[in-house]
Order: sequence, then structure tokens, then C-alpha cells
Amino acid sequence: MATQVLIAEDEPNIVELLTFLLERAGCRTSAVFDGAKALEQLRAAPPDVLVLDLMLPGCDGYEVLKTVRGDPRLSGLRVIMLTAKGQEKDRRLAESLGVDAFITKPFSNRDLVDCVTRLGAAGARAG
Amino acid sequence: MPDSRRVSGPVGLRIRERRKAMRITQVDLARRAGISASYLNLIEADRRAIGGALLQRIADALDLEVDALDGMAERRLVERLGELVFDPALRRLNIEPASATRLVSRHPDWATALLTLARERRDLQQYAVALTDRLERDPVLARAVHQVLNHVASVRSTTEILDTVPDLTEDQRGRFVDIILSESGALSELAQMLVVELEAGTRGPRSLSPADEVDDLFMEARSHFPVLEDEAGRIRRELGLGDRPGTGELAARLEARTGITVVRQSPLEADLRNFRNMCHLDSATGRLAILDNAPPETRRFQITRLLVAREAQEAIADLVAQDVLTTPEARTRATRALVSYLASALLFDYEAFLADAVRYRYDIELLRQRHSGSFEQICQRLVSLRRPGAEGVPFALLRADPSGHVSKRLPIPGMPLPGPGGGCPLWPLFTAFQTPDRLIRQLAEFPGGARFLFVARTVRHDPPNFRSAPFLRTIMLACDIVHADRTVYAEGLDLAATSLATPVGPGCRLCPREGCQQRGEDSALPAARTDAGNVPVAAAFR
Repeated sequence: MATQVLIAEDEPNIVELLTFLLERAGCRTSAVFDGAKALEQLRAAPPDVLVLDLMLPGCDGYEVLKTVRGDPRLSGLRVIMLTAKGQEKDRRLAESLGVDAFITKPFSNRDLVDCVTRLGAAGARAG
Repeated sequence: MPDSRRVSGPVGLRIRERRKAMRITQVDLARRAGISASYLNLIEADRRAIGGALLQRIADALDLEVDALDGMAERRLVERLGELVFDPALRRLNIEPASATRLVSRHPDWATALLTLARERRDLQQYAVALTDRLERDPVLARAVHQVLNHVASVRSTTEILDTVPDLTEDQRGRFVDIILSESGALSELAQMLVVELEAGTRGPRSLSPADEVDDLFMEARSHFPVLEDEAGRIRRELGLGDRPGTGELAARLEARTGITVVRQSPLEADLRNFRNMCHLDSATGRLAILDNAPPETRRFQITRLLVAREAQEAIADLVAQDVLTTPEARTRATRALVSYLASALLFDYEAFLADAVRYRYDIELLRQRHSGSFEQICQRLVSLRRPGAEGVPFALLRADPSGHVSKRLPIPGMPLPGPGGGCPLWPLFTAFQTPDRLIRQLAEFPGGARFLFVARTVRHDPPNFRSAPFLRTIMLACDIVHADRTVYAEGLDLAATSLATPVGPGCRLCPREGCQQRGEDSALPAARTDAGNVPVAAAFR
């Protein structure tokens, strides 16, 4: 069963690259460009993994994460924070909100794909 | 007919490839170059290093430019690409350093493109680091840097895809190249915006690239600028200066030509922030103030710099307009370096200086006494003696400060320069700090077998007053072992005895030597490839 991934990212080129990399690794992807759309999509069709940019327009990545972790219907969702804000305080805040992985930009393609497939597989086992 | 500019591999291999492509026998080429066939055989097998007039004769016989044959520009490209391997962002790709040679020889344009992007990225990272403390306060900058990182992420990810995914379709490849182009364009615009923002506030951080670009300018010119040598002759004639003009004579010419007067100033009364190289030109008053603690050679040199900068503005501007210098800062640095070159050419007349250098067998002390120059000025002039047909020994020059930072690098073919993470602690460039004012010579052998004679000593900048400490730097000259016996510094050394040479490297991170007692950090070279005699490692150091 292919891992379902939702990409929440407002940079179109990064969305295109992530889509290429993850689909090549056997995942199925969809993408949204702001936080509100991300929450809407998560509730309508919950994926296995959410790749979440921190600096999203409107509702930012922290808000999305907080809402996700407060929603019992999304308890199995694995969240990877993908962000240009790589300071320790950002990482700690994301971890306190329940992020599964924190990857800073610029990222290594291999690290990112490995992380998504690992979390996808772990979610499948847990589910 | 083969392409006359692209011959890959080390010098010997290039000669052999080109000779075979032209269907010339070894005997025939040896005869045309005026050497024996057996000697040519050694050269082609890279068992004898060559340069100077012989390399020129062989290049002529093969209908090639010397640059195409000794591949110095390509080697520099290989070295710089090799350094990329140690970039933390690329380290996990486990790229083999020696593969840079293959990339450069097969796809030189792509190698240059990769390096250009890497430089842009490095510059932007420098900006990002220096801006950190401003980010908290400045939302405009915070957004800009965030965008920079997003664009850098796209460039990096796309480059990795192009590099690692073998089965891309033409459409996909085209699309990814478009992404790199659009992201690079966006990066440039952001960089310009950042520059404007920075200039509006505190001074922006210095980019690393300008120094590299000035290195490239000097390397391409083989540290010799015929135009400036001609200009030196013209200025000397027009101003009626002798072969070895004195300080008073130069100051008088400066005043007569430009109205600028030279004055001495006590360091106690000077605002030292305005002073560079112990002098300061106050444009408002038309006075060149030189600090009292400046030695006579510095005084003479700085007056000459100002004089030639005014007399040869056009020639210097033409040289600075070259493509290799891409930023205003690089052009400023290059202008300073070329003005110093011209001052040196004026003070140390080429023919007279070369004749003395040969007569004194490159003894720097004798040349200092004869030509009234500082140690560094004399070394710098020796490096520039590369006029075809009237060449001196080809020397490399390096200058280091006590932190280990190498602040001047004029290379010669085949000699590895200190790599990322610093140089080799065994070089006299660094050990000379242990014995100030004493000249150190060393026969050094690199992994791969290339041998050089190193000569180094400290130079001292006297303190301006009791409260300050003297400042030491080291200057090192290096020449290929084949030229060493033309210098006084080879006297008493057995140049043929390889066992007597000190085993050195280009710096710990790029050095494969195991068991070195001076190793300061682990080698970044893959362990499996550090076996003695293993070809890829040896090739990486040729």
C-alpha cells in the first residue's frame, strides 16, 4: 500500500520537487499552498504523512500542527516539519507540539525521502 | 584535427596525447624541442616535471598554447571542485575527490557552472550567518533570508536530482534546468536586495569570492602582466626616474604630477582606522600621511603606489574590466593588487632585477640589499619574473598570519595549495613562526610524489607604541624541485634523495598520510582509498 503524503508548502518549485522525489519513491502525493487548505484537506482525506512548511501564509505551520495534535481523528498522522527556520528554539517548539521529524532547508533529497518512507512504514505498522 | 584547447590529464599525458594525435614520433618531437628522446619519454610518463623555456618549446612544436598544455586553469578548477566535496551539505553524497578531474576534463562547462552556483551559495550563506543578529529585529530581512533558504533548497534539491537520477526524460531534465535558472535568478535579485538593505544599515559582510577571483586573475596571467611592465618603463622614462629611484625622488615626482604632498605622522596622533598599509591619503588636504613606524621600504613603496595609480589609471582599469572579476569588491581588490604590481615593476626594473636574481642565485637577502626592498616586496617581484624568453625560476608565494589564515596565494602548476580547514602544519609557512626572523628552507614531498623547495621566514610589523605588540606574518616561496638547484637555497641539500624530503600534505582534511604525528584532524578522504600507492589518491595530488 503506497504511503499517502500531503505536502503543505507555499513555494511551487519545492512542491514540484517534493512531488517528483516522493512519487519516484512510491508514495502518492497531493499538495496545498496554505495552512487553512491543509487542515481542510487533512480532515477530508487524512494522509499517512504530512510534510509541513513552517512559514505558510495565513495559518502557519505551528497552528496547523497544534490543531492536528488536538484532533483525535488525526492521531495516526505523522508530521514532518520542513522549514528554513532551523534555530534550536524553533525545533524545540515544534517538538513540544508533537512533530515527528524536523528537517531544515536546504535539505538532502535522500534524507527527506528516507524520513517520509520510514514514518509512512511506521504509521502503517501502528495502524 | 583535435581541439587545440582541450587536452586532458597531467602534463606528460597531455604531451603524449597531443603528439599522437598529430602523428609525431617521440624521436621527432624530442629533436624539435632540443632534448633526447629518452628525456621526452620521462616527461611523457610524468616522471620529470617541466616548465619554462622547455615547456614553451614543446608547446610550440605541438602547436599549442602553454596554458593548454600545463592545464593550470583546469587544475585550479579541479582543486576548487575537490573542496566542494567537504561542504557539509554535499558530504553525505560521498563524492570521490578524484572524480573532479574526470568532470573537468569531460564537461568543463558544467564544472564551471557547478562552481559558480557553489560560490553564489557560499556567499549567500555568509550573508545569512552575518545577518542572524539583525533578523530578530528586522522583519524585511527575516523574510528575505527565509526566501533565500527556500531558493537555495530548490537549487540544491534540483542539482541532486540532476546528479543522481540517471533516467530523467529530456522534458524532465529541461524542466529541472528551468527550475535552477529561475531559482538562481531569484537568488540574484534577493542578494541585490540584501546588499541594498545592508548598505542602508551596518556594513555588509565580506564575500569570500572576491579573493578567489583575484587569485584567478593572477593565475591566468601566471603572475606576470606585460602591460604593467611596459607601463612601468613608460612612467620611468616620462618622469625621468632611474633604475632604483629613491623615496625623496619619488615624493617629489608625486607632488609635481599630482600636487599631493607626503607627510609623516605619529601613530599617537593618527586616527588609525583610516590607515591602510601604514598610510592614509586625505583627499581634502591633498596629503599622504605615512606613519612614523613605517619602515623605509614601506614608505617608498606606498609613495610609488600612489604615483603609479595616478599615472596608469587606464591600463589598470582595462585589466580590472576582465570577465573573471564579477563583483565590485573583486574589482577593488584587483585594482589594489595591480597597483602594487605596477609599483613593484617601477621600483624593481625587470631586466636589472632578473639579472641580479640570477647572479645572486635568488638570495633574497642580497636582493633586498641591492634593491632596497622589504622581504615581501622582493619575494613578490621574484614571483612576477615570468616574461616568456626572459623567465626566472617559477615561484609560488604564500603569506600567512599567526591564526593560520593564508592571506596571499600566488600558485605554480602542480603545487597543492592549503585546502579547506587550513594548511599542513609541517609547511615552513607555519613553522617559521617558531623561529622569528630566521629563514627556514625545506625539501617537501607531497602524497603522489611531487617535490618542492620551500623557503619561508617571518616578517615583522613594528608596533606603533609601547602599548601595542609587534605583528608577525610569514612569507613563503616555493619552487619545483627541478628548478631548486638554480637557487642558493638548495646549497648543501641532496635534491635527489627522496628519503630526505619532509612528507607534507595540502592540509589535514585533504591529506591521506596515515600515522602523521602532526595530524590535527581526521582526513576527509575515504579510508579505503588512502592506501599507499593507490592510484586515485595519487592522482588527486598530481
